[in-house]
Amino acid sequence: MVVFQAALLNELEKLYKKKKVLVGILLSLAVIVIGQLVIVGVRSGFGLRGTGSVEFPMLVLSVVVNTILPLFTALVTIDSFSGEFTQNSMRITLTRPVSRFKVYTAKIMAIVLFILGALLLLLVFSLLAGFIFNTNSATLDSLGRTVFSYLVSLFPMTVLALAIALLANILRSGIAVFFVSILTFLGLTVLSVLFSQYSGLFLTTHLDWYNLFLVNSFPLLKILRQFLIMLGYGIMFFTAGFYIFDKKEF
Amino acid sequence: MKLKKKTALLASFTMGALLLATTALADIASKSGYEELKDAIKLTAERGSEAFDSFTLDFSMAMKDNGKTLMSGNETKKFDRKTGATESLSSNVNLNGYTNSSQTYSDTKTMIRVSESDPTYYVTEFSKEREIESFNNPFKEEEAADVEKIIDAIVGSLKDHVVITEKDDGSKEINGSLTEVQIPALVNAVASFQLKQEFNGNHNQSNMPKLVKDVFVKQVTGTAKVNKDGVLESILGIAVLSGKDEQGAIHEISVDALITVTDINSTTVTKPDLTGKKVVRHLERDYSGSEISNPEKYLGKFKNDILIEKDGKFVKIGERIIDITHIDTIKVTGQYHEEFKPGFEEYATNTSELSFSAEFIKDQRGNANFEYTTKSGVKGQGNIYFDDYQGKINFNGMNTSYEGGLMFDSTFSPDLD
Repeated sequence: MVVFQAALLNELEKLYKKKKVLVGILLSLAVIVIGQLVIVGVRSGFGLRGTGSVEFPMLVLSVVVNTILPLFTALVTIDSFSGEFTQNSMRITLTRPVSRFKVYTAKIMAIVLFILGALLLLLVFSLLAGFIFNTNSATLDSLGRTVFSYLVSLFPMTVLALAIALLANILRSGIAVFFVSILTFLGLTVLSVLFSQYSGLFLTTHLDWYNLFLVNSFPLLKILRQFLIMLGYGIMFFTAGFYIFDKKEF
Repeated sequence: MKLKKKTALLASFTMGALLLATTALADIASKSGYEELKDAIKLTAERGSEAFDSFTLDFSMAMKDNGKTLMSGNETKKFDRKTGATESLSSNVNLNGYTNSSQTYSDTKTMIRVSESDPTYYVTEFSKEREIESFNNPFKEEEAADVEKIIDAIVGSLKDHVVITEKDDGSKEINGSLTEVQIPALVNAVASFQLKQEFNGNHNQSNMPKLVKDVFVKQVTGTAKVNKDGVLESILGIAVLSGKDEQGAIHEISVDALITVTDINSTTVTKPDLTGKKVVRHLERDYSGSEISNPEKYLGKFKNDILIEKDGKFVKIGERIIDITHIDTIKVTGQYHEEFKPGFEEYATNTSELSFSAEFIKDQRGNANFEYTTKSGVKGQGNIYFDDYQGKINFNGMNTSYEGGLMFDSTFSPDLD
């Protein structure tokens, strides 16, 4: 465990030093600022309320979860694997007395922590903006649902990171991984519109699964099914990704 | 050791795959409340257009402002598919507070209409037995499947908000409820903007509050009841729009709508009893055919005045006269000439006297192109149209010159004197 912690710390430090993370965080904050400006514009221009204090974080989440967050998850994941493959710094990591399993897990863990950090940051700032600039519409229930929605979004995002990590281990070039990811993402989005009855199977629709937690009746079975599907994907991606990573020669 | 790791990896991968496959199958197989609702609507439309002999459809709606009724409406429609008879009763209170109610009955031969404001029964009798368009199944239309896909995509994740509860007797209740957090912000904004425009439109005199600020859709709920045969019995929908007026007072405007289907196969449509009532009857001509009915009524003279503008006045200088000598549903022949008053003969042109013969264009009711021959033997082309609604003829072909302040008129009225 100590070894794993050291490896994780190592990965986090690497992540922290990257400009991408900073850009990601700045962009997320920009979404909040721009979103709030749009809402204020709509309110004074059209006489609509736009959003209330709790709806604003939900609006931010619905935008971010389909755009910036997957994008930066992809960038960070690609950097963590393909980046190190091409820079040959992976060798240095592997010379340490840490098993490859632990290195792989630590890398994934660091990415998950990055996503969690981004989500929490977005939550705090959008709530702040929501309460300062919008009419208060919060109830304990809606506030709780909002916080929960942000937290559960971590799960599909992690599965996405695992999928990209697998891709990064199959393809060597980071750019290739990036484009394949983007095209797949767009492809799946289109497919889920065309075959809406099967949309529960696509990773891209899972990104919106926080919506299920907003439903009044709390559709437990549906949530469970989605969870298991994502879990299935996650296990497969992790195992396959690790298998290739383990076999790789540096 | 090496082997053990491989087995562990393989086992883990297989487990993931199995987990995915089984839940995926379960997910596809499971029918959401949304799907059930769609099925019920389709089934009801199909039965309504094919299987039910009769049924009663009741539609009522009310709009309230902070609980005070602004307007309401109720309409009861009885359908008898076997005889083609329908009866409808409606009563409304509009935004200005005026009430009105009316009753309509129609079958293949008659249509009877009466309203509260005018107790006269207006009876229309049809010369031919009409073909009544019975209730059409909208899901049989060509575009239905595509439209359904588009709606599915738009509804998107809101599908999950539809919940179904099954009762002991086999009937089902489908519920859906959306409050402001659950309605996507964009949908809410677009919907509230639309509604705001609609409400603030041109109801200046009405008691409708004018919402100017902080307008948003607060809540949308829906309940549908499906009987044990899978047919919809009722749908209730409530939408609440909230906003502030110019004084800053908060208004919650709610719109409730309820549709029920009752008395399936046991509805009787009764013709209103007209004895002792004030009745106005008239015979309805059939305008729907592709040929004019009773063309022989057009035999004879039609004319209009030739006018000029002179010294700031209209002056009649003569008449244009069409004489239809032969007409049936296929062909029409006749003459056209202009008669000028003494002193205005110089207005005559080379087309002032001509004869024509035309064949009606197929499926263009009363419309015909013709070739004419003038008195001097010159040929030309023109068009004649028999207007059944106005009982007039439209005739084009003669030279249209506006020289000397001449007015041109192509509409001819029957000369009955």
